[in-house]
This record gives sequence, C-alpha cells and structure tokens, in this order.
Amino acid sequence: MKTLLRNCIYQGKNLIREFGFSFWCLIYPVILATFFYLAFNGMMDIELEDINIGIEKGNRIESILEEIKILNIHKVSQAEVQEKLNNGEIHGFIDSDLNLMVKESGINQTIIKEVIEQIKQMERLNKPIENYDFEADHILDRNQEANLMVIIFYSLVAMVSTYGIFGGITVVSVIQANLSHIGVRLNVTPLKKHEFLIAGVIVGLALNLFANGILFIFIKYVLKLELLNEFKYSSIFIILGNLFGTALGMFIGASNRKSENAKITMAVVIVLFFSLLSGMMGPNIKVVLDKNIPILGRINPISIISNNLYRLNLLGSTRTVREGTLILSLYSILFIFLSYLFLRRRDYDSI
Amino acid sequence: MTVYKYFIKMALRNKWLILSNTLLFFFFAIINTSGHIQEEMSFIETKLNIGIIDNSNSPLSNSLKDYLESKNNIIDVSPEEEIIREQIFLQIVDAVVVIPEEFEEKVVSKEKVIEVYRDDRKAESIQIEHQIEKFLLFANATHEEGKFDLNAIKSALSEKVNVNMIRDGSRGIDKGTNEWFRYYFNFTAYVTIACYISVIGLVMADFNEYNIENRRKISSKRFLRFNKELYLGQLSLAGIITFIFILGSIIIKGKYIREINFNIYLVNTIVFSFSILCLTFLINNITRNKFVTNCLSVVLSLGTSFISGVMVPQQFLGDKVLTLAKFFPTYYFVRINDMQTSSLLGVKNDIFMQLLFGLAFLLVGLYLSKTAQEV
Repeated sequence: MKTLLRNCIYQGKNLIREFGFSFWCLIYPVILATFFYLAFNGMMDIELEDINIGIEKGNRIESILEEIKILNIHKVSQAEVQEKLNNGEIHGFIDSDLNLMVKESGINQTIIKEVIEQIKQMERLNKPIENYDFEADHILDRNQEANLMVIIFYSLVAMVSTYGIFGGITVVSVIQANLSHIGVRLNVTPLKKHEFLIAGVIVGLALNLFANGILFIFIKYVLKLELLNEFKYSSIFIILGNLFGTALGMFIGASNRKSENAKITMAVVIVLFFSLLSGMMGPNIKVVLDKNIPILGRINPISIISNNLYRLNLLGSTRTVREGTLILSLYSILFIFLSYLFLRRRDYDSI
Repeated sequence: MTVYKYFIKMALRNKWLILSNTLLFFFFAIINTSGHIQEEMSFIETKLNIGIIDNSNSPLSNSLKDYLESKNNIIDVSPEEEIIREQIFLQIVDAVVVIPEEFEEKVVSKEKVIEVYRDDRKAESIQIEHQIEKFLLFANATHEEGKFDLNAIKSALSEKVNVNMIRDGSRGIDKGTNEWFRYYFNFTAYVTIACYISVIGLVMADFNEYNIENRRKISSKRFLRFNKELYLGQLSLAGIITFIFILGSIIIKGKYIREINFNIYLVNTIVFSFSILCLTFLINNITRNKFVTNCLSVVLSLGTSFISGVMVPQQFLGDKVLTLAKFFPTYYFVRINDMQTSSLLGVKNDIFMQLLFGLAFLLVGLYLSKTAQEV
C-alpha cells in the first residue's frame, strides 16, 4: 500500500509537469467549450416569433386576422408589396381575392396560407356561423423543448471524460524499457511493474476527473450553462468514460512501438472521430447516423456517454443506463486485458 | 533540389495525418450529400415530420389521420412517452399526435382530447395545432344526429388558395446545389488549416531543429537557395491538398457545377489556401516545438471554424463573435461562399482582405525569421 501511494505521488507529479497532459486535459476542453458557446449559444434559445402579414386597407378578412395572436398585420399598398417582401418586412401579402404573394417557401408562409385556406374552406363547407365554436380547445399540450445544439456540449463532456487516454499512454510508455529512460531503470530494479501500472491508472483517472471537474465549473459558472441536473448516474458515466479512456490509452501505448507523440496523435484522432460521430461538430450528423445506422450510436463509447447524459439530465430518462454502463465496462475490461497481454513477460536482450 | 526532395519525403511521412483529415472531410461531405438538391420553381408548403398514434381507429380519427398525412410527412414513432420526448428533443419529429380511445365522444363534448407532443416555442407547433383544431372545428360544425359529415369536411379541406412567388432576378433554381457547395467549401477551411499547420509545421520543425540548422550553416548550400526550395516544397504540398479538395467537389457533384458559380468557389479556395500557407509560415517562425505546433493546429482550425461560420452559418452568430472572427481570413472566405454572388467583382473586397492577411502573416514571419538569424 505504501509503495502504491509512493508510486501515485511520483507519477502524479510527473503527469502534472507534462505540458501535453495540461494542454489536452485542462486547457483544450475549456477552449473548445468557449468556442462552442460563442458559436451555438444564439441557437439554443428559441423564441416564437410573430408572423408579419401585409394586407391592403379595407381587406374583408382584416378583422379575422387581427383575432389571431401570432399574426402581425401591416397595411401595405400594392406598390410597396414587392419591396416589403424583398426586405423581409412581411412574410406574405394577401390581396382582396384572398390570393397570397410570397418571396420564398417557408413555415411562416405555410401558416399564412393555411389561415386563408380555412376562411375559404369555411365558405365551401357552407354551415351557419353559430355551428362553429371558435373557443373550443381540443388539444392537451405536452410540451417538450427541442434542443439539438446542447448535444454538442454533452458530446464535448463525453469526449473530455475519455481523455484519461493520455494518462494511459504515458504510464504504459514510461514502464517500457524500449520507449523511455525511466522504463530502462524500472526494468533493472526490483520494483514491481504491475504496482507501477496500477498507480499510473489511479493517477490518470484521478487527474482526468479533476480536469473534468474544472470543465464543469467553467461551464456552469462562466458560461452559465446548466448541463448536470442529475448527479448519480451522470457521475457513473463520467467515471466509466475516464476508465474507458485510460484503458484505451494503455492499449494504444502497449500495442505498438511508435513514439509517444505518434501515440498521442493516434489517440486524438480516434477520440475526435468518435466525438464527431456523436454529434460534436454538428448534431445533424448524429441524427442522420441514428436514423440510418442506429447500432453505431449504441456501440460508439462517446455516443453512449453523451446520449445517456442528455437523457438523464434533460429528459429524465434512465432507459439506456444499464445497457450503456455494461458496454462501457466491457470495453474497459477488454482493453485492460489486451494491454496486459501485450505487456506481460516482456524482456529485453539489449536496450 | 535536395532540400525540396527531402521536404516532400518528410511531408509524406505524415501521410496518415493528411489522409485522416481528408477522409474525415469527405465522410462528412458525403453524409451531407443526401436530401439537399431540391429545386424551387413555385411555392412549396412546409411539411412537418409528425408521428400519429391512433388508439381510437374510428371513422373520425381515420379521417383526421388522412388529412394530417396529406399535409405532413409521417414518421414511425414508438408509443413510449420517453422515446416520443427524445424524438421531439432531437428534432427527428416536429410533433407527435396521440388520439385516445373515446375520441369521437370527447370531440362532441368539446373536451381536451388529443395529446400533442411538441415544442411550444417553434412555429411548427402553431402549424400542427392549427391543422388539428381546424379539422375538429369543421367536424363539430357538421355534427348532426350523432354523425359527422366526413365527406363534406373532406371536400371543404380540398379548397386551396393561389400562391404567387415574386422573383428578385436571382437564379432561384439552384438553391439546393449551392447549399451543398457552400457547406463543402466552407468545411475545407477547417481541414486546410488543420492540415497545413500540422503537416508543414511538423516538417519545418525538423528542418529548424538546432543541429540540422547548424549543419546547414556550415554547408555550401546558400541560405536563399535553401529557403527557396523549402517554400517551393510548401507550395507544392499546399497545391496538392487544395487540388484534392477541389477535385473532390467535382467528383461528388460534378454534374451540378454549371448550375452554380464554381469559378468563385475555385478562386476563393485558392486565395484562402495561400493565406493559410502564409499563416503556417508565420507559426513556423514563432515556434519550433512540435507539440506547440500540434496544439496550434487543433485550436486554430477548430476555433476559427466555429467563430467564422464554418460549423454554424454566420447569420446565427452574435455580433461580438463576428467582430472577433474578422481578425482571421476564414471569416472572409466563408462570407464569399455564403454570398452566392454571380461575379468575381462582387467579392473583390473579401478576396482582397484574405490576400492582405496573407501578406501580413508573410511580412511578420519574414521579420521574425530575420530576427532569429541575427541572434
């Protein structure tokens, strides 16, 4: 236990002093979150905007249109119609014969069209006005806010939670005699490699969790975004993300003899690719993939974490928690086992 | 040409970096291929993506379903509330309509009867509400002797209004095609910056390494000649990468090139490529550290892309963000692609700004290079 603690302290100091770790785990996520916020903040707060309709003075449906809350009525002369449509002051113009003039197709123009159509359709239905109960409300409203853009932030959190990958690569590189000077020394001392390895995993996990904490504080108090409302399961996913990242890092570190820089580049590319698929660069990619290749979202580790985070925190749904934790745990066990296979009984004739 | 040859050789050692960036780029370009090409010759009604769960299966509910199906795209939805809410959240559906068992009775008694899952803040929620309320208003208006006159409702609902679209003189038919090219070329900005800074930066870091530089100083190779070959190597590499991206657009959407102003995309991409090459030159004169180069590559490519409108259209970005973006050539590159103007004269200012940025990067880089030589 004492040896483990000592190893943890030394490796912790080693990792903190490494600029690579500080940049990728501490600075980069904060920079990325800031960019995301700058770019997407304006798109997350949707407000229902009024629809602007142009009519000529004396149009017979003026009083009907004025009753509809969402419509803004503008009095427009025939001469001004083209100009007002072109500069976007009005979405559509209704003439005295109830024909509609628009500049482009769109949701607002479609709503105007349906309103005019209703007036014409009532004329065609030919029922006395007292048959219509305009006060009747048949809809039970089940409001659910749509917020596709927030997926980007959850993907970022998921990506960052797997940044234990860097710690994993470093610790495995350090204990291999053909890759580092410390590895050479370690291999000629009576120190046990597995103790050093366990200490490395503990340190990698702890420091990355600390980095995740910094990111959450930054997002909550600087960017003022409330991402984590549910704590229990969210923490489990973030810890599992860290474990998965560290395990994958160990695997990358142990499975080949490339330089540590090359391994880190490999790690960045792999994690970035998984994050892109989970919607970090644009949530539409996630929606398209979910629609066409739904299995991808269930096996991509970053998607598993980000999907569960938004389900837990914004939808209050726990339906995929069990499946997600199981798959992430299996991945972690698999990569740790494979790393062990690569590392065990490794001897060197000469260095 | 020994230096040139080795520059290219060392750059090709980083082929995986170029390949991974390029493949990632084409992957997203192809994903975005589907569904964009749509001609707009006349007014097209906006159809919502809706799900309908009919637990009543009565004549009235079937008639309502038929009407909603004629006005919207129907998406298969699960009856589970959690899944419905997630589909609304992800904007896979605009609304989900749940019709209960005792539908007809509740309509007659004018109760709140239909559950509609939707986002109240969106115009789509108004449209679906209007369609449902109109149908049920008509249904109640025709309700006599315990029966709804569904044929009369159907006939009334077939009444349409004329919609005329005004023309503003622009070529309106290539909206979808232009949209694809706009997205494609905007995204090249991200990959260009990432590739140039990381690949050229890493090779230059090797050339600028202390021992190599000392060897070069005592060699017979003239400094000017050495630099000329290095810059030629950088230009060749940048040319190849730019050519791949331009060729990619021709391969994926070649048959639509005549519908758009491809020359503008072409000139804009080449000018931007030059500007970023100059930025890379500046960075190479600021740092020799490979790690810092890598960090700058990631931060600058992602950062400028996010604030300049590559990932999100400029119209959605705040004024402060756009003001910040104006200090990078990416902003002007994206602006030209977004403008969709028909002549090069219309974008001359933005082309000029990119060239100016390139020149500024080059001059500062040359100054730093000269300062470093004097030390």
